[in-house]
Amino acid sequence: MRIFVSGGCKNGKSFYAQRLAKDAAGGRPLYYIATMRPVDAEDDERIARHRGERDGWGFITVEQPNRIEEVLQKCDIGGSFLLDSLTALLADEMFPHGGNVDEAAADRVIGGLRQVIEAVDNIVIVSDYIYGDAIIFDPLTELYRKSLAKADREAARLCDVVIEVAYAGITIHKGGELYEERV
Amino acid sequence: MILIFGGAYQGKLDYATQRFDLTENDIYRCREDIADVPKHGARLVNELDKWIFALVKAGHDSNGAVKRLVADNANLIVTCNDISCGVVPVDPIQRAWREAVGRALAMIARESEEVVRLFCGIPTKIK
Repeated sequence: MRIFVSGGCKNGKSFYAQRLAKDAAGGRPLYYIATMRPVDAEDDERIARHRGERDGWGFITVEQPNRIEEVLQKCDIGGSFLLDSLTALLADEMFPHGGNVDEAAADRVIGGLRQVIEAVDNIVIVSDYIYGDAIIFDPLTELYRKSLAKADREAARLCDVVIEVAYAGITIHKGGELYEERV
Repeated sequence: MILIFGGAYQGKLDYATQRFDLTENDIYRCREDIADVPKHGARLVNELDKWIFALVKAGHDSNGAVKRLVADNANLIVTCNDISCGVVPVDPIQRAWREAVGRALAMIARESEEVVRLFCGIPTKIK
């Protein structure tokens, strides 16, 4: 089953997504696609915390902060994948090191994502819902929001199930029956 | 009246355009710098929040203006960005705008026969 999970920041999405990916593995390899390229001590701390939270779950960590389609060469496509997150993946593609901005990053991410979603049976993709602010952003931030939304909509279209997480509550926007039937 | 709301870039206008078979001539696109009442005769008023921003910025009574729009256009389709889910803005105009949009959405939702929320391109009928 291919599942897309989104919702507000720090609201339990990652933990919920971890459980979904673990449940789907059923003895097959369980992959954690790590998308964040650490740039400072704050990132190192966040990564250490996430690693601690995954300890003992049996995840094989695969570092892939960009060119997401390359995981297909690195992993057994029959496994269960957790991609956390689309947000970090797009940030790395859009703001590569050196201070450039790649405005075509969204289309590249979508292309790679499409290959991955079509190739694997079980994947959980996590993104962040950053579309409800009453702030007029600078053009660059606005472009990033617009690009992530484009990638989100495409991921939601390609996945079997779409779930919005808000702490203990979830809303299933697509594939409710399929989700209920999963073992 | 039909209200279609959701976060930025969630596919509100695409959904409305397909469902109601709209052409560009049917759509009035609000702008942050135009406080005039949306064009009479449009079937859909897009991004009402932008019109409300213009009203708030110009110091107009946005609540009253939205009420009149609803009263005068019973068959209108309205799309609006839901801007209620983030941090309280530091800027006083953005803060007033955020509250005005919240009140407008609550009022329009009450008056509408149908309310749809878009999430990542997927519609959910909530009324």
